[in-house]
Amino acid sequence: MRNILYLIQKEFRQIFRLKANLVIIFVMPFIQLVILGFAITTDVKNISTMYVDMDRSQLSRKIIRTVSSGEFFTIKGSTDQTEAAVKKMDSGKIKLAIVIPQHFENNVLSGETPEIQAIVDGVDGNTAGIALGYLTQIFKQLQRNMTMALPSAQPRHIIETQTRMLYNPNLDSVYNIVPGIMVMLLTMITVFLASINIVREKEIGTLEQLLVTPIKGRELIVGKIIPFAIMGFVMLNVGMLAAGLIFGIWMKGNLLLLYVISVLFMLSTLGVGIFISTIATNQQQAMFYAWFFSIFAILLSGFFIPIENMPPWVQIVTYLDPLKYFMDVIRGIYLKGSGVSDLVPEIISLSLYGSTMLSLAIIRFHKRMS
Amino acid sequence: MKSLLLSIIKKEFFHILRDPQTLFIIIIMPIAMIFLYGYAITLEMRNIPTIVSDLSKTPESRLFVKKLVSSNFFEVELNHIDESSIDTVFRRREAKCIIVIPKDYSTGIVDSPVTYLQVIIDASDPNGAKLISNYVNNIVNQSNLEMSLSNSALFTLLPRFLYNPDLKSANYFVPGLVAVILLLISALLTSLAIVREKEKGTMEQVLVSPINPIQIIIGKLIPYLILGFIDGLIILFAGVFWFNVPVNGSLLLLLLMMLLYIFNGLSLGLLISTIAQTQQLAMMMALMGTMLPTFLLSGFMFPIESMPILFQWLSKIIPASHFVQIIRGIMLKGVGIPELISQISFLTLLSLVLIIVSIKKFRVNLDA
Repeated sequence: MRNILYLIQKEFRQIFRLKANLVIIFVMPFIQLVILGFAITTDVKNISTMYVDMDRSQLSRKIIRTVSSGEFFTIKGSTDQTEAAVKKMDSGKIKLAIVIPQHFENNVLSGETPEIQAIVDGVDGNTAGIALGYLTQIFKQLQRNMTMALPSAQPRHIIETQTRMLYNPNLDSVYNIVPGIMVMLLTMITVFLASINIVREKEIGTLEQLLVTPIKGRELIVGKIIPFAIMGFVMLNVGMLAAGLIFGIWMKGNLLLLYVISVLFMLSTLGVGIFISTIATNQQQAMFYAWFFSIFAILLSGFFIPIENMPPWVQIVTYLDPLKYFMDVIRGIYLKGSGVSDLVPEIISLSLYGSTMLSLAIIRFHKRMS
Repeated sequence: MKSLLLSIIKKEFFHILRDPQTLFIIIIMPIAMIFLYGYAITLEMRNIPTIVSDLSKTPESRLFVKKLVSSNFFEVELNHIDESSIDTVFRRREAKCIIVIPKDYSTGIVDSPVTYLQVIIDASDPNGAKLISNYVNNIVNQSNLEMSLSNSALFTLLPRFLYNPDLKSANYFVPGLVAVILLLISALLTSLAIVREKEKGTMEQVLVSPINPIQIIIGKLIPYLILGFIDGLIILFAGVFWFNVPVNGSLLLLLLMMLLYIFNGLSLGLLISTIAQTQQLAMMMALMGTMLPTFLLSGFMFPIESMPILFQWLSKIIPASHFVQIIRGIMLKGVGIPELISQISFLTLLSLVLIIVSIKKFRVNLDA
């Protein structure tokens, strides 16, 4: 026990000796939160739009005014020719061109149902679809107002949707991203630092020196795990504080529950970190493996892309990803105030995953060392 | 002079080849990434778990449910849900959307002209929530049109999607992925090249030899440029032949641009390598300096127009955001140099600046 304490002490001295490490622990969460929280917005707005008004009537001007009044479309000028607008789209200056044909107003008045053309840059299919959705809604509203104003208007039974967005009524991307960043931070610090740290000691030979001391292999491992778990823990708290201070997002659920589950989670990531240290022979390799792991684990966790959207075989692969379970847990506790009873499957999976991963890694580490 | 440069290149090559494990990762990682990411990144939603509580139980309401089911977006479960259990359903993630069809769904005309369909959505994923809401609205609009006899449309909207008429996700993400992967790989490759020798002390040995800093830097760059280019070819190949992303523009221009872009990433890595004191620090810098910005600010996944203005500016100084436009332009839009001139000149300029700064920085380090 005393040995472990000494080891932890040693580890912390080494960590604190390098100022950059402190920066990583205390500043990185802030930077990541600010950048990610502000930059990742899947909201589609300010779509660069150009209009081609060949009608130049009262109605066509009204349509353009309505389109440009919201925050969805930013009008980037007008032109007389469709080709000119397409050219602009080729060079990436605009994403949408609205073409109002000649005699539009007259045709509407004579009941001929003319067509407004929307030329959309389809490269980004998602944005294109959403932009078109906005446009459809705007036109629908406009037409409804116009028909209501007609003297021949008569009441019709229509169905409308009354939508309630739970947990995040304003649909801020930040709410979804911030808990995700915590998962990322914890993963990075545990997988990267743990694996690189052990490999470094291997590389410079100090691991061998430790092995010839009376410290047992078991103690050595524990002495390596605890400091990184503590660092991860500190970072989690710094991250939560930052999320509250910067974005005003505080946890809805139980803090203690989150702490307990994050310890379970770190078991698996530390396991991965130690496992990597047993395969890698130098720091570069360790970094590549750690990077390899994180980049896939983050994708499959559902951080950016909801897992339901993925093809079935990828969805099966996500079950192997400890981040997936923790992502559900942290989002649940943070946003929905989920309790233990809501998270039973995740807790079981994380405990199983963590204990298996860590024991496998330790067994391998032992074999490697002796 | 030439032979000196050649011998540095050779030495660096041997260094790479001697470590087959790293080489293996460098080749396998991009391939794995393009496949898994290529498949997994799709923003189209399917099979949204939905609970429909049909209080009306009329032919009309059943028709509506049928429409929901046949749309393929929703995985409908018919169940009665009362107000108090909504929260539990969402917390346990049993559904993402709950639709309550009111009692007066088909008879609303008698009491009031409007019947409200209640849609409750788990908005903890806001983007998904918005899409779900759009889907429901579309279906409702359709029902409205069918239920009313007269067609009230005064004018219609005719969409025309350029460059990617089927709105294929792969067409959007695969070129972006090439940009992301190449920058990450190239910056990570060189970020350790100099700092490693600094840490091991072999740099001093190189310094006492009659080689000048420019030669060292160039000599270290060339092998990685070749390696990065091979990576680029592999993932481009996968994108074109596996994901069927077209190359509508000039392939030669695309390859040249790829080379320029890889060079850019390598120079960025070199700069990090000359600044950082330890390998650990260099890696962290390379990760922070490349992974986050390229992933987030390059426009590869998140639309730049929607970001706050500060981040829009930031995205302009990131090499990846320019390359994303170049590669999408060439592959999908089939445009050439005239349309891409500003992006191309930026990348060229940035490469020059980066390489000059790293040589300068390297010199200063030597003198100290």
